[in-house]
Amino acid sequence: MKKVCIVGSGIAGLSCAIECAERGMEVILVSPFPSERAQSVLAAGGINAVLSSEGGDSIESHIEDTLKGGCYIAGKESVKGLCEDAPEIIKKLEKLGTVFSTGENGKIAQRAFGGQSYNRTCYCGSATGKQIVTALVMECRRYEGLGLIQRRLWTDFYKALIKDGKCYGSVFFNEARMDLEIIYADYLVMATGGQNALFGKTTGSTLCDGYAQGRLFLQGVELKNAEFIQYHPTTLETQQKMLLVSEAVRGEGGRLYYVEDGKRVYFMEDLYGEKGNLMPRDIVSRTMERTGKEIYLDITFLGKKEILKRIPEVYDLCLKYRGIDISRESIPVSPSVHFFMGGIAVRNNHETNIKNLYAIGECASIYHGANRLGGNSLLAAVHGGRVAAESISEDKSETDVKNFEKDLEEERRKLSTRWASESEFPVVYLEDLVAETLKEDLGIVRDEERLLNGLKDVDYYLSVVEKLKYDKSEMPYLGFSVTGILTLAKVALTCALFRKESRGAHYRSDYPETKEEWQAATIISYDDGKFNVRLDSENVYES
Amino acid sequence: MKVRILRKQSPTAEPYWQEFLYEKKDNRTVAGMLDELNYKDNLKDINGNPAPGIQWECSCLQGMCGGCAMVINGKPALACETFLRDLKGDTVTIEPLKKFFTVADLVVDRSVISENLKKVNACIEEYKLSDKADHEQMYSAAKCLKCGLCLEVCPNYKDGRNFFGALFANDCYLIASRSGTQKEEIMESYDSHFAKGCSKSLSCEDVCPMKIPTLASIARMNRRKL
Repeated sequence: MKKVCIVGSGIAGLSCAIECAERGMEVILVSPFPSERAQSVLAAGGINAVLSSEGGDSIESHIEDTLKGGCYIAGKESVKGLCEDAPEIIKKLEKLGTVFSTGENGKIAQRAFGGQSYNRTCYCGSATGKQIVTALVMECRRYEGLGLIQRRLWTDFYKALIKDGKCYGSVFFNEARMDLEIIYADYLVMATGGQNALFGKTTGSTLCDGYAQGRLFLQGVELKNAEFIQYHPTTLETQQKMLLVSEAVRGEGGRLYYVEDGKRVYFMEDLYGEKGNLMPRDIVSRTMERTGKEIYLDITFLGKKEILKRIPEVYDLCLKYRGIDISRESIPVSPSVHFFMGGIAVRNNHETNIKNLYAIGECASIYHGANRLGGNSLLAAVHGGRVAAESISEDKSETDVKNFEKDLEEERRKLSTRWASESEFPVVYLEDLVAETLKEDLGIVRDEERLLNGLKDVDYYLSVVEKLKYDKSEMPYLGFSVTGILTLAKVALTCALFRKESRGAHYRSDYPETKEEWQAATIISYDDGKFNVRLDSENVYES
Repeated sequence: MKVRILRKQSPTAEPYWQEFLYEKKDNRTVAGMLDELNYKDNLKDINGNPAPGIQWECSCLQGMCGGCAMVINGKPALACETFLRDLKGDTVTIEPLKKFFTVADLVVDRSVISENLKKVNACIEEYKLSDKADHEQMYSAAKCLKCGLCLEVCPNYKDGRNFFGALFANDCYLIASRSGTQKEEIMESYDSHFAKGCSKSLSCEDVCPMKIPTLASIARMNRRKL
């Protein structure tokens, strides 16, 4: 029986675990905390699928919208697979118990999201991610009962077991035993989410820090499109985070405006017409920034009754954290880091450049190109899990076992040396410094000077990080993860400096045009201290 | 203001109280306050003694993941949605949830929740289209964070050995309303691990961060039994 170790138990990890178990494989599902804590539960808006051609929609249109939204650097074949699988995914999620919102005819309701030609976003109120997680957790539990899925909590990813271009499992830090341990597996699937720690306050979870991507990069795993970072146009600042004001608000007719000479200026509608508020996220964010004004989102005209029916969670959040009653007043909104289109480079079957090492969900880079459309991330999370499981199940190559015990001892020695001494300098300071740097130098608008400054800062942080001792009163994870996080910051800056054009979420004021010769994914690899960047002009990863 | 925290350095260590001084900010949540206290390279307690960083669990910081459930001034609540302005007096007392095993400081092991659900095979298995009238209640019940606040406050829930608490009742309802194969099995589990032990204090509804109408789930389960 093939043994699959999945790291991360959000929607992508759960989807992959269930699909592997359905195919009779043995799964170890590893995460520090239960699925209910995963960032997936924050995904509010919905999940895209063409469920009917009645209104004129088609799978071809979903494919074209996704490719266009991604500025034509996502692979056509993989996007085709994503969109074709979408109706089947919705059916399956419903059968597993996802409580989708329905229309008066009893059919699953769909609404419009940015960059879409038709209403194709299925949703569960404004808690779509949470409802899907609940359903998947329940199904996962069935396979846990059958002994096919084994969950491991309080366990943090440390590094993958890689030898001669092949993966054999992973080293983890076991928080209960406070020690490193090895889990051997025929296949390792990374489902560790995005990289919020690079930017401090974002719309996402504090648990998604990008450490795994950074660590794997140092182990020879190639990363892709790291310069493409999505700013969600409508977020509301609180003391601790940027609260996402779901795109559903604009999907339900919400209008963006600023005030000039006492009058409202609906700038998105003025620039782009009736559907202006629902332009792709990169365009809305950039346009908002260019106005240099306070921006507001108005949904009051919908009335309290409809607001409470269609977007109750948005109503509750704004009231609870900012005292704003959205049925009576507009919401002050600003763009904030929300999603990372870049991540671990994977082929169409979600395998990385390392044999038997897969990546799915937000930590992988495949479907969204230079900019993701709303409603496509939940879809990609579920689909990626399915594709990886199928590929693993069909893989005919021989699996073998290698002994990594010596490496484990070496890692133990390294960790205990670092952790043995009290430090007066918490590593969290370094994380905050890098977040400040990236917010300043890798923002919505970039240029060479700022990117070089950012690189200088991050290089300095990297030069000191290995000399730091870990604070004994903190979990060791906080200490050992910081090198990976800083590495990933350098990756993002390096890729942004490399791409001398503007495309999707990557806007360079010194290279404002989109250029045909750059219409390909960025690939970055690590070799003996060097960060090597290239364009995937031959579409190596689209196979 | 004074912040009084019940601390424990490791799973096997003895718990102890430690106090800190904090300049109260009305718009800050308890989670924000813990973050601020921790963001120091020389955290000191009220007597000026060096103190180790305060361990607590968080993920979403907006009341949607249940990670930061703890007992604040004697009341089980999520730290990220408890504002300092709403707390009475000059002292805030913070303890870990007491009905679970404390791993360190305010971090508890809540795996008994999923273990119990696993024990009774709480899953839909074969899907049966649900009654349209159930839609709203199912949507509410499926929002359960598995944070454990309802268990903490419940006078009947002890350690989860027999009585599984309100969150279990809601999951039972989610299954009974849609499973073609598990209905009888789940009704039995509901009876033995919830219905028989619940004294209907309904304190679970008061503390639920998602405002799940558990009473409605109970009522619908009772109707199914008949």
